Amino acid sequence: MKILLIEDDREAASYMIQALDEAGHVTHHASDGETGYAMASSMDYDVLVVDRMLPRRDGLSIVESLRAEGNKTPVLILSALGEVDDRVTGLRAGGDDYLAKPYAFTELLARVEVLARRSSPSEAATSYEVGELSLDRLSRKVEREGEAILLQPREFRLLEYLMKNAGKVVTRTMLLENVWDYHFDPQTNVIDVHMSRLRGKIDKGHANPLLHTIRGAGYMIRE
Amino acid sequence: MNRVAQLWRTTTVRLTAIFIALFVVFSILLLTFIAYQSSIQIQQQQTAAIDREVEMLKRIDQRQGVRGTVFAVARLSGQPGPGIYYLGDSSGLQIAGNVTSFPANVLQDSGVFSFNYDRDSAYAGDNTRGYAVVRSLVLDSGLRLVVGRDVLERRGFTAIVFQGFLLAVAGILAFALLAGVVTARRVLKRIDTINATSAKIMSGNLSERIPVTKRNDEFDILATSLNAMLDRIEGLMQGLKEVTDNVAHDLKTPLTRLRTKAEAALRETDTALQREALETTLTESDRLIRTFNALLMIARAEAGAPSGAFADVDVSAVAADVAELYEPVAEEAGMALESRITPGVHLRANRELIGQALVNLIENALKYYEPAEDNTGLITVAVREDGGRVLIEVGDNGPGIPLEDRARVVERFVRLEKSRTEPGSGLGLSLVAAVARLHKGEFRIADNAPGVLAVIDLPSA
Repeated sequence: MKILLIEDDREAASYMIQALDEAGHVTHHASDGETGYAMASSMDYDVLVVDRMLPRRDGLSIVESLRAEGNKTPVLILSALGEVDDRVTGLRAGGDDYLAKPYAFTELLARVEVLARRSSPSEAATSYEVGELSLDRLSRKVEREGEAILLQPREFRLLEYLMKNAGKVVTRTMLLENVWDYHFDPQTNVIDVHMSRLRGKIDKGHANPLLHTIRGAGYMIRE
Repeated sequence: MNRVAQLWRTTTVRLTAIFIALFVVFSILLLTFIAYQSSIQIQQQQTAAIDREVEMLKRIDQRQGVRGTVFAVARLSGQPGPGIYYLGDSSGLQIAGNVTSFPANVLQDSGVFSFNYDRDSAYAGDNTRGYAVVRSLVLDSGLRLVVGRDVLERRGFTAIVFQGFLLAVAGILAFALLAGVVTARRVLKRIDTINATSAKIMSGNLSERIPVTKRNDEFDILATSLNAMLDRIEGLMQGLKEVTDNVAHDLKTPLTRLRTKAEAALRETDTALQREALETTLTESDRLIRTFNALLMIARAEAGAPSGAFADVDVSAVAADVAELYEPVAEEAGMALESRITPGVHLRANRELIGQALVNLIENALKYYEPAEDNTGLITVAVREDGGRVLIEVGDNGPGIPLEDRARVVERFVRLEKSRTEPGSGLGLSLVAAVARLHKGEFRIADNAPGVLAVIDLPSA
C-alpha cells in the first residue's frame, strides 16, 4: 500500500515510516502543509495520514482542497485535539477517520489498513464470506457450514463489521466507534466480553476458529 | 492640570456645561422679553400720564386763564419726581417750569419729542444729563406748554432687571459648576476605587474586591456584579490550581513508575523479560493517557463545552445502548444488569458526555461489587422524567458509601481509603459531576438501601 504521511514532528514521522515499512507499506513523508498538499494532489496514494496542525498550511484545509478537486483518497486525520467537536469538524472537512494523539501505533496501522479498503468495491457488497461462514446483509442471515446462527442485532453488526474488514486487524476503539457509535473510553474490557460471546456463537464446535485475538492490537476474522 | 482635564472629560461635567449654556440662553431670552414688555408698559404709562396732565392743564387754561395755568404749572414743577414742565409765552420767554433749556424745535413746533437735556433739579442727583420725552403744544391762551417725563425711571427699571439677571446667571453658573464638579469628582473617585481594585487583581491578588457602600446606588450594583464575577473567576482559578496540583501529583506518580520500568527494561539482559518490562511500560503509559484524557474532559465540561456539541439527544436510547454494552460484562462479573428506562426521554445534551457519565457510573458499580452468598449483585440503569427533570440513575446493592463521604467522592482524585488499592484514576465521579453541571443539573449520591444510588438530575428544558 502507498501511504502519504503529512506530519511535522520528524521523530514521530520517522518512527511511523519505519513501522509502516515493517508492515509492508511504502510511505512518503511531507513535513509541512504546502509540500504535503502538492504531493497529495500530484501523486496517487492509497491512504493519506494528515496531521491537523501543520506549518505553512493547516491539515483540514489540505483535505478540503483535495475533496474540492474531486480527490477521493481516504484520509486519516491525526490530531492532539480529541474532543467530540474536533472530531466532527475533522470528518466534516472531508476526513474519513480521526485519531486523537497520543495513539498506539497498532491503532494507526489498523485504521490505515481498514481505510484503504474503502476505495475497493467490496464496500457495496450485499453479503460477506469468510471460509464456511457467510453473512447476508439483506436477509440478515448468518450461516456456518449451512447451519444458521442466531445473533442479536448488535452481534450481527459486530460480525458484519469484522467480516467487511476480513483479514484486517480491527481495534477495540474501532469496534466501539463503528458498531456502537460511541467515542468514549471504557475502562474495563467491555468489547472483549462481547467478542467472547460472539466467538461462542461463531466458533464453538468448530475445529478451525475464524475469530482471532491479535495480541496488543485487537481482533481479526480470517480463514 | 491633568486632574482638571480628566474632570472635564467626565460625562457629568460635560452635561453640566451643556445644561448651563442652555439655561443661560433661555434666561437671556426670557429676561429680554420681560424687560422689553415692561419698558413698553412703562412708556405707555408715562405717555398716558403726560397726556392726562396736558388735558388737565388745557382745561385749567380754558377755564381759569393764564393765571391759573401759570399757577398750576408752577405747582407741578415744584413736586419732586421725573416730571418735566415748561410754560412760556409766544416770544420764547419762560414763565414757569423746572427745565430751562430745550432744543429749539421743541419750543417752535407741536408734537412729541425726545432728547438729552441738562437737569437742574435735586431729583437728578449726581447725574446731570437726562433723557426726556416731552409733548409740546400751544394752549388756547397762546402760551406754549411742554409736559414730559425723565425716562431715567424707565431706564432704571431695565438696569435693575438686567442686574438681577446677571446676578441670577452668575449664581446658577456657580452652583451648577460646583454641583457638576462635585458629582464628577465623586464619580471619578468611585471609578478610581474600581480601577485600583482591578489593578491589584491584575497584579495577581485575586482575592481583592471592590468596596460596596450602603447607598446601594448604581455603582454599588456594578460593584456587586463585578465582585460576583470575580468570585467566579477566583473559584475557577482555585479549581484550576487544585487541578494542576492534583495533576502534578497523579501524573507524576505514574510517570515516575513509567520511568523506573523503562530503566529496568534497559538494564534487563534477558530478551523475554525485557519484552515483558517494555509491555508494562506501555500499559503504564496507556493509563497515564487515560487519566490525562479524563482530566481534559472534566476541564472542558467545567469550562462549558462549546454549545455546538449540544444537540437533541434521546437519553433513553443512550442509556439503553450503554446498558446493552455492559450487560454481558455485569453477567461475567456475577451480577445482573437491569434496565428501567422510560423510552423516548429527550434532552438537549452532549451525547458522548452523557454516555461517558453512564459508563463511569456502571463501571464504579461493577468495581465495588463484593460477592456475597445471600446477595446477588444487581445494577439498575434507569431513565425517568419527574416534573420537568430528567433523572438518570445507576443503582447497585453493593457496600454503599457512608453518608459523610458522599459529597467527598465527587471531588477530583478522591478515593475512599478501602478503594485505594483498586485500579482507577479517582476521576470517574468527578467527571460525572462535571457533566451534570455542564447540563445545568446536579449529581448526587443517595442511599439505595443497600448500596449506592447515583443520580444525575438534569433540567429537561
